[in-house]
Amino acid sequence: MPNEEKQTAAGDGLRVGVFICDCGLNIAGSVDTQAVTDYAATLPRVVCAVRNRYTCADPGQNEIKAAIREHNLNRVVVASCSPLMHEPTFRACIASEGLNPYLLEMANLREHCSWVHGGDKDGATAKAKDLVKSAAARAARLQAREETSMPVTQAALVVGGGVAGIQASLDLAGAGYQVYLVDKEPSIGGIMARLDKTFPTMDCAI
Amino acid sequence: MMDVGRHPRIELMAYSEVEGVGGYVGNFKVKVRKKARYVREEDCNSCAECAEVCPVVVPDEFQMGLSSRKAIYLPFPQAVPASYIIDMDACLGTNPIACGKCEEVCEKVCIDYDMKDEVVELDVGVIVVATGMDVYDPTELDEYCYTRYDNVVTSMEFERLICASGATEGHFVRPSDHEVPRRIAFIQCVGSRNNAGDKGNRYCSNICCMNTVKDTLLLRDHYPDCECTVFYMDIRAFGKGFEDLYMRSREEGVKYIRGLPGEIRQDAETKNLFLTAENTLTGEVVEREFDMVILSVGVIPRQDNPLIKKLLSLSTTADGFYMEAHPKLKPVDTPTRGVYICGCAESPKDVKDSVTQASAAVARAMTLLNAGEVTAEAITASIDAAFCTGCGLCAKVCPFNAIVVDKDRKTASVVSAMCMGCGNCGATCNQGAVTMGHFTDEQYYAQMDALLEENPENKIFTFACNWCSYAGADNAGVSRLQYPATPRLVRTMCSARVTEDFVLYAFMKGAPVVLVSGCHFADCHYIDANRQTVKRVYRLWDKLEKLSIRPERLQLEWISAAEGQKFARVMREVEEMRKQVTAAEIEHTRKAVAEEWEKKLAREAKRKKKAEADESRDEVQVS
Amino acid sequence: MSQETKFKCLRCGYEYVEKYAPDDDVERACPKCHSNSVRPEKAKKADAAKEE
Repeated sequence: MPNEEKQTAAGDGLRVGVFICDCGLNIAGSVDTQAVTDYAATLPRVVCAVRNRYTCADPGQNEIKAAIREHNLNRVVVASCSPLMHEPTFRACIASEGLNPYLLEMANLREHCSWVHGGDKDGATAKAKDLVKSAAARAARLQAREETSMPVTQAALVVGGGVAGIQASLDLAGAGYQVYLVDKEPSIGGIMARLDKTFPTMDCAI
Repeated sequence: MMDVGRHPRIELMAYSEVEGVGGYVGNFKVKVRKKARYVREEDCNSCAECAEVCPVVVPDEFQMGLSSRKAIYLPFPQAVPASYIIDMDACLGTNPIACGKCEEVCEKVCIDYDMKDEVVELDVGVIVVATGMDVYDPTELDEYCYTRYDNVVTSMEFERLICASGATEGHFVRPSDHEVPRRIAFIQCVGSRNNAGDKGNRYCSNICCMNTVKDTLLLRDHYPDCECTVFYMDIRAFGKGFEDLYMRSREEGVKYIRGLPGEIRQDAETKNLFLTAENTLTGEVVEREFDMVILSVGVIPRQDNPLIKKLLSLSTTADGFYMEAHPKLKPVDTPTRGVYICGCAESPKDVKDSVTQASAAVARAMTLLNAGEVTAEAITASIDAAFCTGCGLCAKVCPFNAIVVDKDRKTASVVSAMCMGCGNCGATCNQGAVTMGHFTDEQYYAQMDALLEENPENKIFTFACNWCSYAGADNAGVSRLQYPATPRLVRTMCSARVTEDFVLYAFMKGAPVVLVSGCHFADCHYIDANRQTVKRVYRLWDKLEKLSIRPERLQLEWISAAEGQKFARVMREVEEMRKQVTAAEIEHTRKAVAEEWEKKLAREAKRKKKAEADESRDEVQVS
Repeated sequence: MSQETKFKCLRCGYEYVEKYAPDDDVERACPKCHSNSVRPEKAKKADAAKEE
């Protein structure tokens, strides 16, 4: 499938891949990851469900990349740890196979499930299934997003001409940027200009 | 200071104020009002002849009112720009009959009575806020009689009394009789660290201990026979070289008494002052007579902070100082991209720390300037003009002023570069015109359908904001804090993304309990977006009650990224509540909400039809 | 204008009175169980009373 079509696929064209991470025993210790993988395979639009030992490690990432190629995946669900931890990792992973990074969704089976329901394997497994189901449902509705960029005006405004504002202005101007230093008072200097000597070296303030 | 005046790339705009800020990161448009000085800055050579003939004498604010100046004056000898200025409130008048003396003597002809304020517009990529501090005014503290006794002065006045270019040209004298005082007391923490009353502030002002240590050494240096006594709570000498300086002060014979005086009494004749304090180290009550008392006053936020706060969409702490984007990892960034803070505007600090922080802020600003381009968050809102009625509700709740309303065309649009993606607008719009990129309504409904399809009665349906509550749940995980396996979380960027419909939909799908969680007020990553969350929850509670649904079934909680303990506790508590919800209740709720939902769908269908009709009409007009 | 308003905690049921205005910037919590699910008594009643 050409790349462009992959990003915009919808409806019947959706091909979701789900990758379930054991995280050694971190997840597999209290969640039946095989049962979750089998369950994931039954979900709508899911064309492949793979269980990894460590999805974030190179072999795990390679499995994702291979599956994207083999199954023509256009949406990816990684059911492992918190997205606050590894979302950038997996976004980069799918981007390397030509998928828009925003077509990734994660299910948090570790911080939100296995680690907090250690004594309740049935409950944890049921919850893990739900989280994967929810992630797959969301993944099917994800759309490619483009980060736009704009030029930055090469000038700075410094508000306040006390010691901090003076230092900031000199640094910025010294680095070659145009600086506008605005001070409310008729002279810069701020509070510092009123001080006689300053600690700890007892030198002049002005 | 001189370097600033000389630098070819610094345009100094003194006696000027920022009036308006538009645009966004990398492309700000700033309006600055240059107030009229009535003296042409570029021509004035500060010869002082104007001031010599000026007949008006007023207190000199630079010298804390301890000496006087003229109506035309140089703020202080080293002022930059080195130009005189006319204080028009004091000036007798521009009419030659009234006065006009200064204009007569000015050889450079740089006095211009008709000068007007000038508003200029600047294009800048970044903004550094270094607006500084104000000094605490101890007038309100009755016990120290600052305004009643001449010889009670503040530490700021002390600076102008001891300074060689100060009010008394460096002769340190007491105000009542202009004699050199021999016995001098310092009282610490004036206006700071006050946890009891409503006067002063709770926080430590950071600089006053070392400032007093410095003052005692200056006094001992200028007047070796003077006796200095410092009344203090704790001496906080934590910085590099601070402890050495403190020890030097003690070695010089300065007395340090741990205990603050309850009051100051004055001898009416000699104007000497009596202090009584309990030395809490020895338990003794000390009563001493002094010639002069110096109140070591604290630092307060600038009184015009709220103005800049509004212009730049910043936030402040409860103390009133500007808040950083993250207390540890982004200490000089602000919630508004491209705006940085440093110096006492951020918190009370000394010269060295101000300089350090200024350089840090500049380094952050330069990463943006040097990159030359800025990428916008891909998680941004967009508005469908076909549905938008231009009501402006979204613009009102946008914490970043990223929504522009076109009143003529009755539509609103989002400036993507300014949008931070909280989703508050999406939850506010009652026309369904806002689409929140990467966190669409459709995606949320799909998640709710998935999570509540089977056995919803066993689930606590939870909305958690990305930055705090979701991270708080992560924290519970990392700490292995156990709680029941019933909660089902969906992530929102901000709790303000949670629409009233989302909550109702979850109830319609059979959720026994719904929990909305977000950042504590002070932590909200979208300035104050989560205040809207509260308003929505209040409205929902009313609505649930109207539908005969127990409002208790909707819970609200603020959980920070560090509060894994709280997250687990809340989940255990809410689980107990979930168990109380009966099957009959859930059934009633499903039906009651479903009826409301039908009405909502009907309204939406009508809107859609109208929008389509409008669109086809527009097309006809175009063709 | 902030007014003395009755609040009810929807977690533990505790009722208490606190100053409240619709636009005040105060993070609220139940003084007893610390839950943030505290509901102000409907302002409507007061408004209705005024209108009468």
